[in-house]
Amino acid sequence: MIYKIAHKEFIETLRDRRFFVAALIVGGLLLVSLALGWQHSRQIERQHEAAAEMTRKQWLSQGEKAPHSAAHYGVYAFKPQMPLAFVDRGVEAYTGVAVWLEAHKQNDFRYRSAADQTALARFGELTAATVLQILLPLLIILLAFNAFAGERESGTLRQVLSLGVSAKNLAFGKVLGLTGVLALLLVPAVLIGAVALMLNGDEAGEPFNAARFALLVIGYLLYLSVFVFVSLAVSARASSSRFALLVLLGFWITSCLIVPRAATDIARRIYPTASALEFAAQMENDIKNGTDGHNPSDKRLADLKNEAMQQYGVSRLEDLPVNFDGIALQAGEDFGNQVFDEHYGNLWNQFERQDKVRQLAAVLAPQLAASSLSRGLAGTDFAQHRDFAIAAENHRRLLIRTINEDTMKNARYGDTKYVASANLWEKVPEFQYAAPETAAILKKQSGGILVLFGWFVVSILLMIWATARMRV
Amino acid sequence: MLKAINLTKNYNGATALDDLNLNINAGEVFCLLGANGAGKTTTINLFLDFIAPDGGKALIKGFDVAEQPLETKKYLAYIPEQVNLYKNLSGLENLEYFSALAGQDRYTKEDLLGFFDEVGLRREAAENRVSTYSKGMRQKVGIAIALAKRAEALLLDEPTSGLDPKASNEFSELLKKLSGRGCAVLMATHDLFRAKESGTRVGIMRHGRLITELSTDEIGHADLERIYLENMRN
Repeated sequence: MIYKIAHKEFIETLRDRRFFVAALIVGGLLLVSLALGWQHSRQIERQHEAAAEMTRKQWLSQGEKAPHSAAHYGVYAFKPQMPLAFVDRGVEAYTGVAVWLEAHKQNDFRYRSAADQTALARFGELTAATVLQILLPLLIILLAFNAFAGERESGTLRQVLSLGVSAKNLAFGKVLGLTGVLALLLVPAVLIGAVALMLNGDEAGEPFNAARFALLVIGYLLYLSVFVFVSLAVSARASSSRFALLVLLGFWITSCLIVPRAATDIARRIYPTASALEFAAQMENDIKNGTDGHNPSDKRLADLKNEAMQQYGVSRLEDLPVNFDGIALQAGEDFGNQVFDEHYGNLWNQFERQDKVRQLAAVLAPQLAASSLSRGLAGTDFAQHRDFAIAAENHRRLLIRTINEDTMKNARYGDTKYVASANLWEKVPEFQYAAPETAAILKKQSGGILVLFGWFVVSILLMIWATARMRV
Repeated sequence: MLKAINLTKNYNGATALDDLNLNINAGEVFCLLGANGAGKTTTINLFLDFIAPDGGKALIKGFDVAEQPLETKKYLAYIPEQVNLYKNLSGLENLEYFSALAGQDRYTKEDLLGFFDEVGLRREAAENRVSTYSKGMRQKVGIAIALAKRAEALLLDEPTSGLDPKASNEFSELLKKLSGRGCAVLMATHDLFRAKESGTRVGIMRHGRLITELSTDEIGHADLERIYLENMRN
């Protein structure tokens, strides 16, 4: 029975020219966005590989050189392109994907594509995520708003119900029929996505993570089915198909545009962050004057000298068995690192709190839940940006420490012309980054997953409730 | 087969149907006459359980329609003023779909075309989209659905209004055929001629009440019109 209803819905929709046009547009956009995303992802990955190789080569071929100038020369660290980033670019356009690791400073990320774009970019890049999260729900609404209301207006609903078909069977038949229609768009997209992933995997040496891809697909299916159920529920209860469309468009605008936008603004207001300029100024001030303002750098240097001399039981700096410049440089680093940890830690905590607010708002708008899960699985959310930034910063500290220790051990007192041997650079290992495992990501996303699942259950119950009380 | 016991329905305080008692046996064609708003469609909607009664009950084959809405509909076929079909499907596809939903999903294409023959629809039209069908053709598809469903009771709501005399006559013939097979028919109509022709009994309704019941054998066409008008005047 349900299958029969589904089959009829499927055939009827396919014969409808409006569907044909709408599906062609949305399906086309989905495929194009996947192809573009894949190409972009591959291109970035190649650039990163080349640049990473280059920066390592440059670092190793510095020859004999004053170590501290090498520390200023620095290296670049690149966030590897996650295999699924071609589906969802997440926050990378805003956070950037590369950072310069140099002495004294924890730098901000560079290569934020959003910074190179006009205000038009605010409308969002065409990514598969945009199509799946924003456009497909709209297509579903257009396909389903008159599922019941339209049949009521044309009189076929009375005809069908007079046959002794239960409203529940009718509803699930329609769900299945709609699923079949959507499968025509989604199955090719999923297949193309899987093929693209496998090709990407070959390229980047990252294994094809089938589990994570499957989770992403399931997540989107849950999200899209919410719109199917809500559309049928509204259609069953609305007084006319026009009114059903109005209500559903309202739901779409609320879920996909208003609440996400408002949640972002509200999150910023509750958990404000300093502007980039203020942030940099505060850090500079803290490094100069000490975090409490009573420990300026001159005094710190004098204390450090006394401490070092006391430690080695000598009364003059030139009698130290180690080079004091190296000690001073490393102490400066250590102090700076404390300041960075505090400032960046506070900033990032604020960002994560903002993310929490958005996740909470997903109770009102399923799009936020889908977007959070999608970014998480694609490896392009803020938490994973932070994870990478910390790894890069730890590498910077290792690099600088290695170099300062060389100065400490090998430079003689007062020798401002000291050059390190060419093999020092090899002591700094190449930067390697291991992205978080899927299980860790799921744990972080558990709140969002719960909300998404909640939407799924509530919407299905809503549909059953609404169709049982359907207007005839 | 079809039975109404003290059936009552109010809409916002106004009585649409007042204490209706009705009993239609297998093979009978009961025609409900009356002005618009007399309660004819309300009666049919109550039998279909599309609306809930405020008093009394409607029984089909002894089952209360409000208590067993799905069970009772198994025996029913409903043909409204305009049989509404899915316009993007062909006549054959519509027939197949409706009969499958009614639980008759074992028909072959030949069986289904047989129903087309039976109701006098050309086989060539079966493959055409319903959007190209005339009203008379749609009403015949409605009958074909009733046949395919093997309905034991028919609820008709002004099924011949707007049909040309020939189509209307063909429809009546089909109705007779169905009642001849033991189908109980309840038909709301404005067509006194049709009521006399195809009905076995007529009931005249006014303001929600069934005020007169007659057997069509006992009266002529002229009598029926006279009685109807008299009842409307009071």
